[in-house]
Amino acid sequence: MSLFTCPFCGPRNLEEFSFHKTLPNIAGGEFEKIYLRRDSPSQSDEHWQHRYGCRAWLRVRRNPSSGDILEVELLTGAPP
Amino acid sequence: VSAPLRSGRRISAETFDFYFDGRRYIAQRGDTAASALAANGVRAFGRSIKYRRLRGLLALGPEEPNALLTVGEAPACIPNVPAPLVRVEPGMRLYSQNRWPSLRIDVASLLRLGSGFWGAGFYYKTFIWPSWKFYEGLIRRLAGLGLAPGSCNLPPARVLHLDADVIVAGGGAAGLRAALAALRLHQRVILCEREPVLGGELSFETATIDGLAALEWVRVAIDELMRGGARILTDTAIVSAAGGVVIAHHQPAGMPGADTLLRLYAPRLVNAMGAIERPIAFVDNDLPGIMLAGAAERLLSDYGVRAGERAVLFGNHDRLYRTAQRLRAGGVDVKLIVDTRDSTPSGAREALLGAGVECLLAHSIVRAFGSSAVRAVQIAPVTRRIDCDAVLLSGGWSPAVRAADAKDWHDVCGAAAGKLSLAAIAGTSDDDGEPQLEPYWRSACTAAEEKRQFVDLQNDVTVADLRQALAEGFRDIEHVKRYTTLGVGTEQGRTGGMLGAAIVAELSGTALAAIGTSRARGPYQPVPMGVLSGTRVGAGLRPERRTPLHDVHIAAGAVMELMGGWMRPRYYTGNGKDSFSAGIAEAARVRQAGGICDGSTLGKIEIAGPDAAAFLDRLYLNSASAIEPGRARYAALLREDGMVLDDGLLLRQTPARYIATTSSSHTAQVLSHLEFYRDTEFRGRRIAITDITEARSVIIVAGPDSRTALRTALGYDWHERLAALRHMGFVEAANLRLLRASFSGELAYELHCQPAIAQDLWQSLGAAGLKPFGLEALDILRVEKGYLTSSELNGQTTPMDAGMGAMLRAGSDGAPRNSVGRALLEREGLKAADRPILVGLRAADGSGQFLGGAQITAAPGDRMSLGYVTSAVFSPALKEWIGLALIARHSSAVGTELVARDPLRGGDMRVRIVPPAHFDPESQRIRA
Repeated sequence: MSLFTCPFCGPRNLEEFSFHKTLPNIAGGEFEKIYLRRDSPSQSDEHWQHRYGCRAWLRVRRNPSSGDILEVELLTGAPP
Repeated sequence: VSAPLRSGRRISAETFDFYFDGRRYIAQRGDTAASALAANGVRAFGRSIKYRRLRGLLALGPEEPNALLTVGEAPACIPNVPAPLVRVEPGMRLYSQNRWPSLRIDVASLLRLGSGFWGAGFYYKTFIWPSWKFYEGLIRRLAGLGLAPGSCNLPPARVLHLDADVIVAGGGAAGLRAALAALRLHQRVILCEREPVLGGELSFETATIDGLAALEWVRVAIDELMRGGARILTDTAIVSAAGGVVIAHHQPAGMPGADTLLRLYAPRLVNAMGAIERPIAFVDNDLPGIMLAGAAERLLSDYGVRAGERAVLFGNHDRLYRTAQRLRAGGVDVKLIVDTRDSTPSGAREALLGAGVECLLAHSIVRAFGSSAVRAVQIAPVTRRIDCDAVLLSGGWSPAVRAADAKDWHDVCGAAAGKLSLAAIAGTSDDDGEPQLEPYWRSACTAAEEKRQFVDLQNDVTVADLRQALAEGFRDIEHVKRYTTLGVGTEQGRTGGMLGAAIVAELSGTALAAIGTSRARGPYQPVPMGVLSGTRVGAGLRPERRTPLHDVHIAAGAVMELMGGWMRPRYYTGNGKDSFSAGIAEAARVRQAGGICDGSTLGKIEIAGPDAAAFLDRLYLNSASAIEPGRARYAALLREDGMVLDDGLLLRQTPARYIATTSSSHTAQVLSHLEFYRDTEFRGRRIAITDITEARSVIIVAGPDSRTALRTALGYDWHERLAALRHMGFVEAANLRLLRASFSGELAYELHCQPAIAQDLWQSLGAAGLKPFGLEALDILRVEKGYLTSSELNGQTTPMDAGMGAMLRAGSDGAPRNSVGRALLEREGLKAADRPILVGLRAADGSGQFLGGAQITAAPGDRMSLGYVTSAVFSPALKEWIGLALIARHSSAVGTELVARDPLRGGDMRVRIVPPAHFDPESQRIRA
C-alpha cells in the first residue's frame, strides 16, 4: 500500500498521490453517480492523482482489506 | 572503589561517569545502559507496571520487557527506552520508571502489599461504583510506563529515502549470507543492523564458518559487501515493514537528536532478524538476577560483565551446556545446570560433568527466593534449595518475525526462519548442530502459586490471569490478550507471547498450533514520536509562502498573517493601534483617495490550446467562448455535486489562450479539478493547463486616485492605453499586464507583473501617493460592496444561494448550458424555500454591533435557526456595522427584521435585511 506504480513515473511513494473518490458502481442517474457506492472488501476502483509528481489522473484498483494495489492505469474517456 | 577495567568486544578502555536516578556510575566507551549498570552491580532497573515489583534485566535487545529507562532530563527526555538500546555517553542521565518517590521506596508498592494480587479484569470489576471516572485520575497516575515529556527541544529528525533491489534486515550470519547472495546476483543491497557492529550472535561463536573463525568470516563478508557497493546501515533499527516499504530508525551512538528516519524501498525484503530467546515460568520468576541465558552470554563476550558470580542454568536444550562452558571460561561459577529433558547426547555435558559441574536431567526450577534480587532457587522433583545470585533461562527461541506481517517479507532466513544451528544458517560450519529442543513452558505449582508465575513481565500477566480469562470464557488468543494485557506495550509478545500461548494451550487442553500467537503491532521497537514525524513539525508541516513584496511589507510595518498558506499583510501598524482601527482607516482612505494592496497570492492558471474555449465553457458557469480577447469576465465553477467550487476572473488573451484567476486558497483544488476534466472528458483534445501563480506578482490599485497614480508610476507609454481601458478590459506588455477590475467597488486595477519588477512598481505607486492597505481593509471594502469570499462560498452554497442565478441563464443560442455540476442543481431540495440565499444585514436600530457566525432567528430567544452571518464589518463609508448572511429564502425579503443570536459573545441583536451591495449598488464608482 505504500508504493504506487505511476504509468509515467514508475513506482513512487504513496505520499505523492492524492485520493479523489471511489468510482460509481451503482446504476442510476446523476445522484447515484455522485452519492452512492457499493463497497466491496476485496476490490475498490478509485480515482487518484499523482499530485506531487507528473499530475496525471489515475484509475487505481485496490484491495481495501489487504491494502494491495491491484492495478494503476491512466484515466481515459468520459468520467464515469 | 574503582572496579578493574572490563574487556569485551564492544567496549574500549576509556571510562567516564554517567548517572542513574541521580547516582554516579562509571561506564566504559561502548557500554549500553544495561551493561554499564550491570557492571556496577545494579540489579533492579525499575518496577513493574501493576504490582510494582522490582525488576531487573531479562534480555539484551529491544525485546527487554522490564528495564525501560527515561533518558535525559525533562522536558527534553525520552521515556521507555529499553536499557540494552541506550548507548551510554559521558554525563548521561538515566532514570528508572514506575516508581515514586524512588526505586527503593515506592509508595504504590507499599499500598499494594496488603491488597494481594490484582487479577485480570480487576479494574473493570472493581471500579464500577460510583463510576470509573471517579477513580480514573488516581489510577492513571499509577498506571502506564514512563511519563511523556512535556515538550521536546530536540531538532527534528532527518528523513532519508533510499531504494535498492533487496533490503536485508539483520546483519548476523544469516543476513550477511543473504546480502552476499544478492550481491553476487548483481543486486543493489541495503543491509540494516540495529547494533553498531555486524555479526550478531557470531560475536561469541567459537565454531568456524567456511573454515574461517566466525569473526574473521564476518570481516571477509563485510569486505566483499563494501567492495560490491552494498549499503550497510548499522545503528539502524527496523521500525516496520509493510507494502514494500521498510521504515527504519538510525541513531548514531553518542549523537542524541541526530536521528534519521529512513524510508527504504525495494521489491524484495529479507527478514534475517534472528530469534528471541524464551523464558520459562516458575514461581517468582521475575526477581532481578533471573535472565535469559543468551543475554548473559552476550553480556560477558561483548561487555565483559558477569551476570552473577554463582549461576544456575535452566533450560530444555543442548545449548545450555555450551553456555555454561563459556560462562565458566569468563569466571562465572556455574553451580548447577537444570535440564528438563530426560536425556541428552551432548558431549559438552560430559565435559562439564568431568569438570565437576552438577548437571541434572529431568528436573526443573519450581521457585526462586529473594527480595530485591534472586538469592536461591528450589528444584524438583528431588526437592533441593540451591543458593545462587543468577538464574539463566532458556526455553528455546521464537523467530523475530513480528516487525511485519509474514506476508510483507519475501524471504525469511536464518533463525527467523526457525533454523537454530550455525551449519544450517551459514551453509558450512563445524558447530555442534541443532540444540535438540524439547518444549517446556512452566514448572508445576499449586493454584495459589500461579499468581506468581509470570508469563508477560512487562504487563505483569501471570498464569493465574490466563486461567481466569479462560474460565470467564475468553478463548481466542486475541481475546485473552485484550482481557489480560498479555503481549501489549513495547513487549508485543516477544518474550512472553509464545509462552502465554503455550500456557493457554495447556490450560484449555488445545494444541498450541490451534491457539496461535496474538498479532504484534508496530513499531517493532520504541521510537520517539519526534523521529516518526521527521521534519513535519512546526513550520516544516506546511511551507510558509511569501510574496515578492514580503520584505517591503515588513519594512512598512505590516502585521503579517498566514492565510491559505501565504504570509499576507493584515494591516499596517502606522494606520491604527490594532487591526480593527487600522483596517477602518485603510478602507476609508481607499474610498476617499486610493491605495495599493499585494494580490500576488491570487491563483493564476493558464489554459491554452485550440480546445481551451470549449473546455472552459464546459467547466465554468459563464461562457468563456463569448469573451472577446483583451476582456475579462467574472466566472464561477461548480463541483460535480452542484456546489460552488470557486469564483474568479477569466481573462482571454488570444482566442486560444485564457488565464483563470482563483481564490488564494483554492488554487490547488481548481487546478486538480481542471486537470481531471482535461484527462477524462477532454482527453485527446488540445488543452494545456499550467499553474502560473508564482510567475506573476499582482498589485491591486484601488480608489478614485488610482488612474492618476498609475499614469505617474507607469510613465508616458501607458497613458493612452490607461485612458482607453474600460472596466473588465486588460492590456499587456512583455513584463506587465494591466487589468481593470475591482474587488473593492472603487475604480480599480490589477497589475500582473514579473516578480522581479514588483518591488519597483510598488515603490513607484507609493511615490505617486498611494498608501498600502491590508486584508482587513480589503475585507471591509468587499463586504460593503457585497462581494463574496470563501466565507460565503464555503462548499455548501449553490450558485442560486450565492446570488449568481444570472450565470445560469441560457446561452445566446437559447439552450441551457451544460457545464459541470449543472445536473445536480436540479435537485428538489436545492430549490426548496428553506435553502439559504445571500442577503445583506444591518442593525435594525442602525447602530448595534453583530459578528460573523451569529445565528439568525425570527425572534429573540428563538431556537430555530434561519441562517447565519457569514461576514460582518464596521463600514467606515456607512458608519455602522454591516454584514452578509445566508438566510432561508422564505425569510429573506428586504426589510424583514430578524434577530442575530450570539449568546457566547454578544447576546441577541435585532437586524434588518438589505440587499447584499451595501455601498454604491449601481457600481457608478467602478465605471468612473
